[in-house]
Amino acid sequence: MEEYPEELRTPPVSLVALFGYSELQASITKHLHSQQPPINALAFPDLSHISLLLAHDDQISQASSFRDPLSVSDSSPPVPSRCGGILKRDWLLKHRTKVPALVAAFFPSHHIFGDPNQWLQVCSDLDSLKSVIRPKNIKLVVVVVQSSPHEELSEDRLVALRKRAELDSKYVLFFNSSIDSELSVSLSRIASAFAELALAYYKEEGRRIKSRVERRSSNSPDLNVRYCFKVAVYAEFRRDWGEALKFYEDAYHSLHEMIGASTRLPAIQRLVEIKTIAEQLHFKISTLLLHGGKLIEAVTWFHQHKASYEKVVGSTEFIFLHWDWMSRQFLVFAELLETSSATVQSFSSLNQETADISLTEFEFYPAYYFQLACHYLKDKKCALELLLSTSETAQEIDSCSESITPSLYVGQFAQLCETREEKGESLTLHSITDEEYTRFTISEAKRFQDSFEIIAWLKRSYESFTNLKSRRMAALCAFEVAREYFDLADPNNAKFFFNIAASLYRQEGWVTLLWEVLGYLRECSRNLGALKDFVELSLEMVTLPVTSYDDSGNSRNKNYGPGGPATFSRRESIHREIFTLVCREAELLSSTGGSGFKLATDSPLHLEIDLVSPLRPVLLASVAFHEQIIKPHAMCSITISLLSHLPIPVEIDHLEVQFNQSTCNFVIRNSQRPLWASSSNTVESGSQVENEPSLVLVPNNWLRLTYAINSEQSGKLECLSVLAKLGPLFTISSRAESPAAMEDLSLWKHENRVESLPTKDPVLAVFGQKATQVDEPEPQVDVSLGASGPALVGEDFTMPIVVTSKGHAVYNGELKINLVDVGGGGLFSPRETEPFSLESHHVEICGIDGAEGNDESESETGNIKKIQQSFGLVSVPDLKEGESWTCKLEIKWHRPKPVMLFVSLGYLPHGSEANTQKVHIHKSLQIEGKMPLLISNRFMLPYRRDHLLLNRIKPAPDSEDMSSLPLNEKSVLVVSAKNCSEIALKLVSMSIKFDDEQGETSCLIQQGGDSPSSANLAPGEEFKKVFTVIPTTRTSKLGLGSVHLKWRRQGGNITEACVSTKHKLPEVNVEASPLVMSLNCPPYAILGEPFTCAVRICNQTQLLQEAKFAMADAQSFVLSGSHSNTVSVLPKSEHVLSYKLVPLTCGEQQLPKITLTSVRYSAEFQPSAVASSVFVFPSAPHAEKANSAAK
Amino acid sequence: MASTACFIIVGRNDIPIYEAEVGSAAKREDAAQLHQFILHAALDVVQDLAWTTSAMFLKSVDRFNDLVVSVYVTAGHTRLMLLHDSRNEDGIKSFFQEVHELYIKILLNPLYLPGSRITSTHFDTKVRALARKYL
Repeated sequence: MEEYPEELRTPPVSLVALFGYSELQASITKHLHSQQPPINALAFPDLSHISLLLAHDDQISQASSFRDPLSVSDSSPPVPSRCGGILKRDWLLKHRTKVPALVAAFFPSHHIFGDPNQWLQVCSDLDSLKSVIRPKNIKLVVVVVQSSPHEELSEDRLVALRKRAELDSKYVLFFNSSIDSELSVSLSRIASAFAELALAYYKEEGRRIKSRVERRSSNSPDLNVRYCFKVAVYAEFRRDWGEALKFYEDAYHSLHEMIGASTRLPAIQRLVEIKTIAEQLHFKISTLLLHGGKLIEAVTWFHQHKASYEKVVGSTEFIFLHWDWMSRQFLVFAELLETSSATVQSFSSLNQETADISLTEFEFYPAYYFQLACHYLKDKKCALELLLSTSETAQEIDSCSESITPSLYVGQFAQLCETREEKGESLTLHSITDEEYTRFTISEAKRFQDSFEIIAWLKRSYESFTNLKSRRMAALCAFEVAREYFDLADPNNAKFFFNIAASLYRQEGWVTLLWEVLGYLRECSRNLGALKDFVELSLEMVTLPVTSYDDSGNSRNKNYGPGGPATFSRRESIHREIFTLVCREAELLSSTGGSGFKLATDSPLHLEIDLVSPLRPVLLASVAFHEQIIKPHAMCSITISLLSHLPIPVEIDHLEVQFNQSTCNFVIRNSQRPLWASSSNTVESGSQVENEPSLVLVPNNWLRLTYAINSEQSGKLECLSVLAKLGPLFTISSRAESPAAMEDLSLWKHENRVESLPTKDPVLAVFGQKATQVDEPEPQVDVSLGASGPALVGEDFTMPIVVTSKGHAVYNGELKINLVDVGGGGLFSPRETEPFSLESHHVEICGIDGAEGNDESESETGNIKKIQQSFGLVSVPDLKEGESWTCKLEIKWHRPKPVMLFVSLGYLPHGSEANTQKVHIHKSLQIEGKMPLLISNRFMLPYRRDHLLLNRIKPAPDSEDMSSLPLNEKSVLVVSAKNCSEIALKLVSMSIKFDDEQGETSCLIQQGGDSPSSANLAPGEEFKKVFTVIPTTRTSKLGLGSVHLKWRRQGGNITEACVSTKHKLPEVNVEASPLVMSLNCPPYAILGEPFTCAVRICNQTQLLQEAKFAMADAQSFVLSGSHSNTVSVLPKSEHVLSYKLVPLTCGEQQLPKITLTSVRYSAEFQPSAVASSVFVFPSAPHAEKANSAAK
Repeated sequence: MASTACFIIVGRNDIPIYEAEVGSAAKREDAAQLHQFILHAALDVVQDLAWTTSAMFLKSVDRFNDLVVSVYVTAGHTRLMLLHDSRNEDGIKSFFQEVHELYIKILLNPLYLPGSRITSTHFDTKVRALARKYL
């Protein structure tokens, strides 16, 4: 696009010429520029310059030196009519820069209205001006410049001026620059008058030429094209885009009709001229369409343009001219699209639906046209090369040929001749013959490096397709770029772009395309001397699923890439080439000239094939162990299956199978092949060597090899890779794959071929794994856990652990102990937080006791001993065969809970050898933790003394279960402990201890009676102990401390420490009783004998207490005394109710029941039933008599 | 009959499963390469265009000079692509429809794995006959 002249690329702008008053011209020019549409202005200081502007061709000196034909206007002599052209090259430029639409003459007002001499001068100036512009129809404007707004104007002179200038009054303008406001008014007045007149000028000119077109005044199609072009340009000056487009199209069509009809020029040049003009017209049309936003029309127009000129080839010998032209069409359109794409992008999607069906999406992108431009340029390059190679004359042409330059007409060329005349040197243009012209174009074409252009455009295309996420189009562009680089002998860049294309084709499985690209890549690496790449690429090509046998016979067609045709026979020949290169015998090493590589003897070639490598079809190794778990030192079968898609069978010298345990690596040797001296470093000498009669990889057939191996090391045994050695220097290492997890070869997956299983056993082929688990050796050490029954809460439960060696010595033994809750909920639960269980663990390991006393000193220093609450680690001393070692584990339960104990011993059976593995023995035992004793307590109030305890009658809501004790009274506390386990226990002591100081001051507790402090408790037996309690402080919550029990298992040794169990006594409510009712009654009664019973009501308060009492009759007694009454008891005194009773029946009898009601507290209370009963003897007991007799 | 026509069937995983040069022009292997490059590049357009219409015949989707790519997308997203220089759209449509039918017959074969290469000579003969008839 840049090669077009500027005036063609930009829309035309009206031109005016200003004469006189150069001081005003700058501001006027500036103002005109800022108009919409802008107006260009030519400024001249006075009217004498008018000849410069509108000078006729003849007037200008012909001697002016020849410069650029575009910028020089009229330097050439009039062209003879027989070699006239269609369009003059400078016509457009002339109208853009030289021929104004109107001339504005500026005169000062005093020249017009003042001195007559000056007025005459003005008149003559006007006349000369008119004589110049009249033939060209250029408009005239006279501007009278006033120095002040109030200047006197003479009407007569003004009329005379108008008459002289033959102007309408509105084109005689007044310009006042003295005041700013006037200035802007004058400027806008001038601008509008100029715009109007310029429009009129271009309209008239257009109409004038249009009439010639319409009249068809000349039959010459040249003129028709020229007129149409001119009309269109004038329309463009007027910004009448529609008409411009119409006439450009007319010009274009009439031009197309001229092909074959015109005979004006020699054949080649004729066509070149037509095509050049067609190109310019097309450019104008496309620009107008694209700027009008008519993207679809523009694209369609381009297609028409391309279609109508595609077949206009011209001379087939110089077809490169046509390709060059075509390429330029695409390039220019691409650039046009690119520059207008910002405004047009939205249209493309909008108009997609209504678009002509034959337009495709890519045709709206510049990249598409860049790509095609390259395609044609490549054709041009080929054609030119062909021409240069075939024609000798073409070769001789060098750049310094005759001075041929573009001539006066667009698309024509002429020879520049120096003529010496009497005036001096001058230059003339002579028309040239076709032969001269072609010589010129060939020499021009030779100067250009088309390849760089092609690469640059293709790269642009590649990038823009990549941005559009059209990977396949981008790959095609990358391939084209790479091919261009390849032709330029730039293998590095070529390789980069070929790799881009190859990766996509490889991924999508387009084999033919991949073959082509790989063929190029192979040549690149050959040129770069990269042997490894070369071999890899060749192998990849060889293993492509190309199965076509169709070999067209001509072995080396030029149209193929360097890879040759994608046929089976070509695969075979590449295969042979590669294998003769890499598998040569030693003596042949010197003669490697054929492939261009030198392979030194000490540079082995090693290829790694992993799971994603494209070389996977070269050697696919599937390894399956026959068993999933194997015993150490036992033989295990392993099947190695190899598959290759190489077209010709390959013989392997030897195979190395590598495992993660390097001691298992082994070698399979082909016994037909000589033994290579150089052994690999991966397999140790002395490892397993298998011999096979032959190791031949037949295409698409599994080579299955089954061997027995053994592993000494326990753990995972995994096959890592299979390394095949082909020849002395060439090795291929293929990653081993499990048959179960093996993926199909992506390219061969969809081929039509017989699929076979890697192993004969179908189960193994589906589920086989390349790894197996080697078991640990059988432990020959016994670990026994000597548990004795259930454990009791609180005691230190000891668990002897005995490690006995039975065939293995134990080295570096380590005992791991783990306590696990059977319920699975862990050994403690945060929900069961109770105040006294400070230990977070309900069960914990307290210690591990090494058995032998002499060991202890060592164990502290050297051996590991690590104990946590539920985990323990203890090291076992080295044991020889037959020895044993014991330790004691102490576990403490804080809560009854069943627990699982896991013990595992790990040891080395063979001293401290580094490679041997530890042997592990695991043991477990469930232990029940149980509660040993159940402790309960009971309070007893004093006998036959009933206290009115208000709390008991009206209990406070929160003290429901709290027992109340009267203040300063002696109460009895009975504590009992019951053995609830299945083990006989010995109770050593029981005592009550206060938890705090306050308890001691507020309460007095004594051990009551003389019950034994220690006792043996059989299972289920209960032990009771009595204490007296005298509360001394009145309090609602009296802590009585806790019962401390000391006990141990019965039958254990006496030295064993007692277990201390605590039981907290409940808190009691201590209160002072206002009334105490005590019953005085003899211990027994005798039938029929009366006895006295007294009820004492004691008032312990400072107040008068009124007490109501009621005595209920009893059947067994005859009662005398008041049955019911209300008595008043004085403060701190007592009232006695006395009754005489005669028992009527024998045995334990209930005394008549008395109910006391305190009026003050409205509380009723009765003595307890047990306390108010008496035993009645039938007669006086003899024992007493005997007793008294004894006394 | 068209002078140049390259027919190719692309499976749903973008792998070509059948390819044939069905033009009447002298058979040139190099052209086959170029044609495949063009057809492969045209897949980019097809993958966008296939979802914009419910019609199976997408008509011409790409153009390389005077060579036009016409595409027919089956319900299983197998693409029948034809690179041709003729303008006979109806003929191309009929050709595609009949080849689609043939392809369905291939699919019905229980021994044919969908997505694998079509190697049936019968299919090949039939396709070439259809090309002679319609293109």
